[in-house]
Amino acid sequence: MFSIDVALKSLPLLLGASVWTIVYSLSSVAIGFCIGTLMCAAGLSQSPVLRGIAAFYVSFFRGVPLLVQLLLSYYCLPLIGINVPSSVAAVGTLALCTGAYIAEILRGGFLGIPAGLIEAARMVGLSRAQILTRIEVPMAVRFTLPSLVNETTMMVKASSLISVVGVLELTRLAQNIATSTFQPLEIYLTAGVIYFVINAAITFVGSLVERGFRAEKAA
Amino acid sequence: MSMITRRSAVTRTLRLAAFGVAASLAFAGAAKAEDLLAKVKAKGELTVGTELQFAPFDFVEDGKQAGLNKELFELIGKELGVKITFLDLPWPSVLPGLEAGKFDMVAGPATITNARMERYRFSTPIADATVAILKKKGDASITKPEDIAGKKVGSAKATAQLAQLQEFAKTLPSAPTIQEYVDFSQSYADLGAGRVVAVANSLPNIAYLAKQKPDVFEVVQPPFGKPVYFGFIGTKAPEAQSLMDAVDAVIIKAKNDGTLGKMQEKWFGTAMKTPDHVTKASF
Repeated sequence: MFSIDVALKSLPLLLGASVWTIVYSLSSVAIGFCIGTLMCAAGLSQSPVLRGIAAFYVSFFRGVPLLVQLLLSYYCLPLIGINVPSSVAAVGTLALCTGAYIAEILRGGFLGIPAGLIEAARMVGLSRAQILTRIEVPMAVRFTLPSLVNETTMMVKASSLISVVGVLELTRLAQNIATSTFQPLEIYLTAGVIYFVINAAITFVGSLVERGFRAEKAA
Repeated sequence: MSMITRRSAVTRTLRLAAFGVAASLAFAGAAKAEDLLAKVKAKGELTVGTELQFAPFDFVEDGKQAGLNKELFELIGKELGVKITFLDLPWPSVLPGLEAGKFDMVAGPATITNARMERYRFSTPIADATVAILKKKGDASITKPEDIAGKKVGSAKATAQLAQLQEFAKTLPSAPTIQEYVDFSQSYADLGAGRVVAVANSLPNIAYLAKQKPDVFEVVQPPFGKPVYFGFIGTKAPEAQSLMDAVDAVIIKAKNDGTLGKMQEKWFGTAMKTPDHVTKASF
């Protein structure tokens, strides 16, 4: 019953679409990391206004389903005069969503940094921005790397939702091929294997970086 | 002193933001009032929303779009002198996208019904959409549409085909159980697996399916539904009228010179007679 021919024939097409899955998910994680860092810093700052903004941002983007966020950015923003193209809506929404999770992940890392270290940095005359980029972020990333890798693999899978704003990616192409070939099992299984390989590669890179950090610490 | 400065900075920012929103609203208003055909021609591109899961109108073959829509819109693009860009979305996202101005019109096509005509401007009919029954090859218990009485039948949610099936079910001596699916492909899969004994959908779609999988599926003749037609969809906004009129002119010309008939023969196996205009649907 299972036709290996159908799976092999669809493989190059699905691999082609998986490039978009990788591009969209990794670029949104990169942008989301910057947003997350800023929001995390805002959340830990002295200013109640900044803390309020960060709290609202995190609770909104963690509390509303990603699918609803995508539909809102694509179909509702035009109502107030902001017409964003599909690709921008997809990357922007994915980045804002993952930014909220990354902000919370990093907050855990920031809180683990000894207060004396920051005090010492201030003593030697580093500015607030320098302390953030040279001490807090690198240390927080080291502390939270497993969670950040976890979040990245979640985003690779979450990117399967962006077809609702008209962006072609792996899942959408698999659906389109499955409905025209009437061989859903072969196609979805192939797509599943591709997702697995992408995430295995991300996990592998994550473990290499982690090992690098450990070697650095031992040296 | 510093308190006052900060507050005035906040007010200034707020005022700027308010101005920005007002300006973009005004721009959006201005853009909307512009004639759509002129805009499409100036851009050299007609953007069409569709779903690539509606064979034989729009589907994927060897990773590329295929079907009647592609060929008919190629002709429309040639006549209007513009490039056609298709945007593939899940069907529930397609009509909201049209209303949000994400594309100029929708391919689909959709069954022309009275309820939909109140909200959308349909093109001239491009195919017969009358609903018929698809059964498993060689199922002797169903030889005419009425034989589905008391049996389990599938159709897709929120479709005109489902509404017709529900109407038809009321006329039968014992009501069939109707299973609603998110899209038709799932209902075909369940028919193949024996979870339902029949699927109700428009004749062009199931005739194409039966032709593709002759050892699995079979069409039950004649169609049971009221005569309805498929059309492309545009908005009812006055600025869209010129575009929809121009599209109609191209399709009606293709009907008269036999081009559309040839496309129908290629994709449905038979040419179909369709009226030039539907002002009142039978459903």
